[in-house]
Amino acid sequence: MPRDSAAPCLSERATGMALSVLTEILQMLEALAESGASGSIDLRSLPLSDADRAELEEALGRGEVRAEMELAGESEVWETTYPGVWWIRHCGAGGKIATEEISVCRIPEILITHPVDIEAAAARLKKELETTHV
Amino acid sequence: MSDKKTLGEMLTERGVSRRTFLKYASYTASIMALPPTAATAIAQGIANARRQSVIWLSFQECTGCTESITRAHTPSIEDLIFDFISLDYHHTLMNASGHLAEEARMAAMKENAGEYIVVVDGSVPLKDDGIYSTIAGITNLQMLEETCKDAFAVIAVGSCATFGGIPAANPNPTGAVAISDIITDKPIINISGCPPIPEAMTGTISYLLSFGSIPELDHLGRPKAFFGEAIHDRCYRRPFYERGMFAKSFDDEGARQGWCLFEVGCKGPVTYNACATLKWNGGVSFPIQSGHGCLGCSEPNFWDMGGFYKPLSTAKGDPLKWAGGAVVAGAAIGAASAAIARNKRNKVLKEGK
Repeated sequence: MPRDSAAPCLSERATGMALSVLTEILQMLEALAESGASGSIDLRSLPLSDADRAELEEALGRGEVRAEMELAGESEVWETTYPGVWWIRHCGAGGKIATEEISVCRIPEILITHPVDIEAAAARLKKELETTHV
Repeated sequence: MSDKKTLGEMLTERGVSRRTFLKYASYTASIMALPPTAATAIAQGIANARRQSVIWLSFQECTGCTESITRAHTPSIEDLIFDFISLDYHHTLMNASGHLAEEARMAAMKENAGEYIVVVDGSVPLKDDGIYSTIAGITNLQMLEETCKDAFAVIAVGSCATFGGIPAANPNPTGAVAISDIITDKPIINISGCPPIPEAMTGTISYLLSFGSIPELDHLGRPKAFFGEAIHDRCYRRPFYERGMFAKSFDDEGARQGWCLFEVGCKGPVTYNACATLKWNGGVSFPIQSGHGCLGCSEPNFWDMGGFYKPLSTAKGDPLKWAGGAVVAGAAIGAASAAIARNKRNKVLKEGK
């Protein structure tokens, strides 16, 4: 995230928000384990300082899975060192973060191929075979 | 014109995946302060929607609102909104001119009767039968009433359209009024600001497309998602205010240290907008971060608040009075809330004069 150039001292200060978010993640993770209920936290909506964000990212770490996507700008998804806890980062214009969320689920919906796209893919491949491999 | 296909069908043909829809939906949910889980419903809503016909009317304005929404940068997720709407009339942006432009407006109104959205920037002059601003041989008043007659909803963008703005500033030589002073039988969403934040405009249109309803509005008819909190409440300089550390001038040590700008005229405490969180130019900065106090441009009568560089406690009138009103006022959803908001908005406008 871009730093506040006018007052760097404020953005570098940890406020304790990271611990609050981690506590909420724990509750969601327990719910996922018990009932399969998934949940999400919109990080952009929280007053996180740069230090809070860094603290949260460091506490969760990066686990086994990482995916990069080109969806009208870059997007990145990774599973943290806590399986079932995913970090989703969508970038917009100029590579700036447009939205960022923690998703507690088996697999984030953004990674699952939509049936409509599968149908379109089949139609496209069929057309390709008919026109170039007859 | 509006396409008969759904947006999902139309964009799938162009190779835009549902993942991209979902990304856009996540972005919309975030800026509208909806829970992330709403993204799936938004993506589905947009995919099932038809391309939305939009008629954009510009009256007494400076084109800053159009500049804001069409800000130039690389194509990205934020620009997808322009694939979701059919901008059937906008006399600054469209290729057609003269009678051909007016024919396009009439055709869009006929083809999409009851379904099109009218976006208006600029105030409407009423003095001397409205002769101070005319387009295509008719007054702004005539064009507004004619175009809004069969609209689904009206979005007033910018402080001129929402509250009269600079054209209505004292002594208001043209008798300029806001859109809601004229159109009283349609849902009206006010997106104030001089200009408004682009995301407030695109996010509101995306919400309309996704849910087919009006987002929750504040007492001035503005989407609460963007106008629910004072700039002061989310300002990163707020801790300095709490400690009583104020810049006394723009070149003193306090200003260099990034202290609170309240004493050099910042109107952040009485201004409701999302500048401190969404910021401007793709999130680069906002006035306070750039070292200047908030002008209060998204509030009624901001031009007549007694001076941009006078602190609130000494400015003309009692602005903190209407800050209190903003905090306690409630809001509801839909056309009814728009009507309630209009009444409250008029009350606030009168008190501010």
